[in-house]
Amino acid sequence: MAGLPHPGSLEVLHPASVQDALDLLQGDARLVAGGTALQLEWARGLPKPTRLIDLGRIPGLKGITGDAAGLRIGALSSLGLLCSSERVAHHLPMLQAAARTVAGPAVRNLATLGGNIVARTGCLLPALLALDATLEVTGRDGRFREPLSGWLRRPADPAEVLEAVHLPVPDSQSRWTQRKIGLRAAFTPSVIGIAGRLDCHDGTIVAARLAVGGGIVVPRRLYEIERRLTGQDVAGIDWPALGSALIAAIDAPDDAFRSGRYRRMVAANALVQGLRDAGRSRLAEGPVPQRSAELEMPRTPTEIRLSRTDQPHHWHVRPDMEPKVSGTLSYLTDRREAGMLVGRILRAGRPHARILSIDTRAAEALPGVVAVVTHRDIRGENAFGIVVQDQPAFCFNKVRYVGDPVAAVAAVDAATAEAALALIRVDYEDLPIVTDSEEALSDAAPAIHAGGNLQRILHFSRGDVAAGFGAAAHVVERRYETSRQMHGFMETEGGFARVEPDGSLAVFVGGQHGARDRLQLARILGRPEETIRVVTSPTGGAFGGKDELTVQPALALLAIKSGKPVRLQLSRAESVISGIKRHPMIIRMRTACDAAGRLIAQEVDLLADAGAYASLGPGVLETALEHVAGPYVIPHVSTRGRLAYTNNGVCGAFRGFGANQMTYAIECQMDALAELCGLTPVEIRRRNLRAQGSPGFLGQTVAPSERLADMLEAAAASPLWDDPGPGDGEEVIGTGMALNYQGNGLGSLVPDPAGGRLRLRADGLIEAAYGLDEMGQGLLTSVQAAVSAELGISRDDILPVTGDTALAPDSSSTSASRGGYVVWRAAQLAGPEFSARLTDAAARLLDRPADGLKLAPGGIADRRSNSGRLLMRFRDLAEALAPEALPSVTVAFDFPKTEYTASNARYIFAFGACIVRVAVSRITGAVRVLDIHQHTAAGPVLDVAAYLGQMEGGAIQGLGFTLTEDARMLDGAYVTANLDTYMLPGIRDTARSLSVVALEGLDDGDGLGPRGAGELGIGAITPAIANAVGKAIGQTACKTPLTVPFCPEGLLDAIGARV
Amino acid sequence: MSAIAFRLNGEMRSIATPAETRLSEILRDQYLQTATKVACGIGRCGACTVMMNGQAVNACLVMAWQIEGADIVSPEGLGAFETARIVKAALIEENAFQCGYCAPGFLMALTVLFLSNRQAGEPEILSALEGNLCRCTGYHSILRGALSAANRLRPGAASETGDPS
Repeated sequence: MAGLPHPGSLEVLHPASVQDALDLLQGDARLVAGGTALQLEWARGLPKPTRLIDLGRIPGLKGITGDAAGLRIGALSSLGLLCSSERVAHHLPMLQAAARTVAGPAVRNLATLGGNIVARTGCLLPALLALDATLEVTGRDGRFREPLSGWLRRPADPAEVLEAVHLPVPDSQSRWTQRKIGLRAAFTPSVIGIAGRLDCHDGTIVAARLAVGGGIVVPRRLYEIERRLTGQDVAGIDWPALGSALIAAIDAPDDAFRSGRYRRMVAANALVQGLRDAGRSRLAEGPVPQRSAELEMPRTPTEIRLSRTDQPHHWHVRPDMEPKVSGTLSYLTDRREAGMLVGRILRAGRPHARILSIDTRAAEALPGVVAVVTHRDIRGENAFGIVVQDQPAFCFNKVRYVGDPVAAVAAVDAATAEAALALIRVDYEDLPIVTDSEEALSDAAPAIHAGGNLQRILHFSRGDVAAGFGAAAHVVERRYETSRQMHGFMETEGGFARVEPDGSLAVFVGGQHGARDRLQLARILGRPEETIRVVTSPTGGAFGGKDELTVQPALALLAIKSGKPVRLQLSRAESVISGIKRHPMIIRMRTACDAAGRLIAQEVDLLADAGAYASLGPGVLETALEHVAGPYVIPHVSTRGRLAYTNNGVCGAFRGFGANQMTYAIECQMDALAELCGLTPVEIRRRNLRAQGSPGFLGQTVAPSERLADMLEAAAASPLWDDPGPGDGEEVIGTGMALNYQGNGLGSLVPDPAGGRLRLRADGLIEAAYGLDEMGQGLLTSVQAAVSAELGISRDDILPVTGDTALAPDSSSTSASRGGYVVWRAAQLAGPEFSARLTDAAARLLDRPADGLKLAPGGIADRRSNSGRLLMRFRDLAEALAPEALPSVTVAFDFPKTEYTASNARYIFAFGACIVRVAVSRITGAVRVLDIHQHTAAGPVLDVAAYLGQMEGGAIQGLGFTLTEDARMLDGAYVTANLDTYMLPGIRDTARSLSVVALEGLDDGDGLGPRGAGELGIGAITPAIANAVGKAIGQTACKTPLTVPFCPEGLLDAIGARV
Repeated sequence: MSAIAFRLNGEMRSIATPAETRLSEILRDQYLQTATKVACGIGRCGACTVMMNGQAVNACLVMAWQIEGADIVSPEGLGAFETARIVKAALIEENAFQCGYCAPGFLMALTVLFLSNRQAGEPEILSALEGNLCRCTGYHSILRGALSAANRLRPGAASETGDPS
């Protein structure tokens, strides 16, 4: 069956001359050069033309010519050429600096100078204006030259081809500045760009060019300011007055990300600082994150520093590293096979509406469409959700958020499936929406679910809070607000599904708990779990965002209905609107201490935005409330937590699981109280630290081997506290810390079973099977580490098998920092028996007593021998045994729990201290993280590289949460559509130096083994950065930012005008 | 829909596909070369970085009509480049990646960098990787791997490359 001819398929013409190009320019035809903007435009829904006229083959439009007087740059020259050209570097360094700020290097190799100009939003325009660029254009009436400034003032004439740009080379005495202010350090949309040039003669300004532009800021020269500067003595410029005049002269609008006011301020700051500091050119690299060797992270004798060079004998290459780097590893979304259909999901696209009808007939009739599914195809319960089943697999009566699925299609190819979606007719009656979590709980709010919008409310109190506050010497009361962070896993949700020849269903979709996915699918599909196989590994990142079902119901239904294998992967845009996010939280926290800084009382009111469905929200709420006191003792406590349904995107599990938001609040409170008491951040923590062995926050028994005091003393000894000096003039520097106290496991109320299996395979490998998932955290290497250590064999002897309900026993979810423990514990439990069975079998074959044998790398050895000589290889042993006689040991156990059941409480905790040094720009208010030192105590380190990776990756994910990441929503729609405005940290945003040490030791008799490392890296990052920023901008904790991500405009205001 | 001829990993190919088909789709869906990953589809993550005429480009931004006559190297073709093998070995030794989905894009970006500049050091590496996003690692492991590769590739280092020109 053939698919449709591609709808909207376009014709591309390749004229050989500019005149031919103009002649072809009819109807909706469009000129194209590099074409890099087209995918963005089409993604935004702008129509595709039927004809593109490619300018790329016209001679004379590429390349750079000219001399010291001026350059002609062909309009089809790539931005990459501008970046690498020595001629541009020599004569027009400002242009090169500007070119290096446009998109990323690979984009610049396609994108052209002409494209950047004709879009009228390009980041080069301020520099081109300041360089007096003249355009060489051919229109209907022939070729002409026109100054860029004039060309920008008149409306675009579509019947023109920009051929080249002419740029006079400025006098070598001119001082210049150029800067693009973005949403992150590099590879960013433009907030505003500036360029300025002062041509001087004997100290007098003979010509001035100042320009702004880029993004939504209309590019233009600031003539009034230029006139004012011309003729002035450079040394006599009143720079503050110039700054004020610039703010008045610059015109810049607001958008969802930055205000017009901010744009004006930073543009003025950048122009003033840049021109004042005498031609000190700012190259596009921005601040180069050099590692600071002078601040080598100290460690106590019992801590180990985690790196390849520090731990050469404990550094193991992951078994999946080579296939990942070479790209040969097949992710579940990579599967392609003959006859496989392509699935697509129809989303609501509106935040709240009643469904009146769904008509799929036209889609079904489209050639190439094999199956269309809706709620009508669901035989079981049309409801899922890990905690409460409030989410429909396909909506039937109403939709509650933009990403709600309504139907899905499987077709012979993607284009046909896409076309079919457009043919599905859904009639809606829009309903009133509520998108503010506070408003959602008012009586007047429209009910999103039948039971109302209060999904959950939790209370906890102890002592007499009123009396506590009454006795207080100091009280800090603040409102913290955190954003809707997106997991941003690189591999979006997807995979494939098929019905096997025996009628069973196999679903291959990246996840975090295959057995639970299977349970949820069985309920939806109305078929026994035994008839479903779920494969969940490997997956390209999860971080909690693949814990809940994603595309599995749609894929399963399509595969069943079509009878064919179906693949489906969400586009990033669809992942953004439909995928789970971190709960935005409003935390009101009131904390009191006595004059000596001892905590007395605390009141906490937490409101979390669940979005349209609960998912793991109730668990997140519990976990947040369990961490309200951090690792501190507070006698009188009263907490309330509420989880509100809204018509926003669904929120759920995300690394930290509510604890990191709450840690932000309590750790900032500690610094504020310290200041009121005249104590250092370390000292106030020292005075309030919980004592080892005392009950947990909820009163529960907790595990031994607490290491909080060690963490705090390590932080106290940090060299980052030493007075860093005032910075280089542009930036102010500050240091801050936070302690980390992260609960592990699912808690006392939630079933938390685990298991694993060791088996000798017929090929002699020892299979270690776990129902856990390799999401990048290093599960496979951890399995090899734990099992090899337990059995005394080599890592290479072990074949980890994970993430497949058909091949591995249920180990419960790969979440809540529990995987490491489960891996270790299963190996510990299964190891002795498995070992004994192998030696018994070998003993029979070797005719030697079993107690004289042991396992060794590669096989069976003499127990008394250390020679490494094998009596029998595992392979020989396996070959000598009948298949049914191959030893296999399966174990099942529960994750350790506390006995406390009045509410959900953790037993095991991991500990950390994070010390951060930041630089805040006086020009932009942007925060640059210089150093992150992480002291961690999570028990024995299973695998050095995996543990280090969790700490480093968690830290920078936390950095992103703190500084740049926010999936903004407005009226129930995502403002942030893709990675062009969702600002994951890039390589320029990462901390300049990042050091991790681990304190491994456990108390005597502590048999609980390794604690979780998965969430420890992220937990304390936000408050440590916040406390450092507070110090940097005001030398006071009272200026600590209270909203995440930090608002650069607010920081700029807090610093005050100091440029 | 006319046939488009181009070179892929050293072999001439001809493909009949609509003009706007993206190179990323051509590689993944037509040639089953799935090492080229797609994580944003708009040139804002670098997961689909390939080499076109010796330069790094985002395969999701390149349309079929733009590859006529081009020389494309996908991650599957990097084995022919000694430089790529050295960079890959350094990244592997450092356990540079976690989930690995971004890894082929980083390997490609670094290979293109070192092919054009054997002396590239940290500033050049940072510039070359500005367009590649990684969500798992926080970049330091990748940077360590890249710096280790730079040391191995530096003129005078033990390895000499014999790359296809």
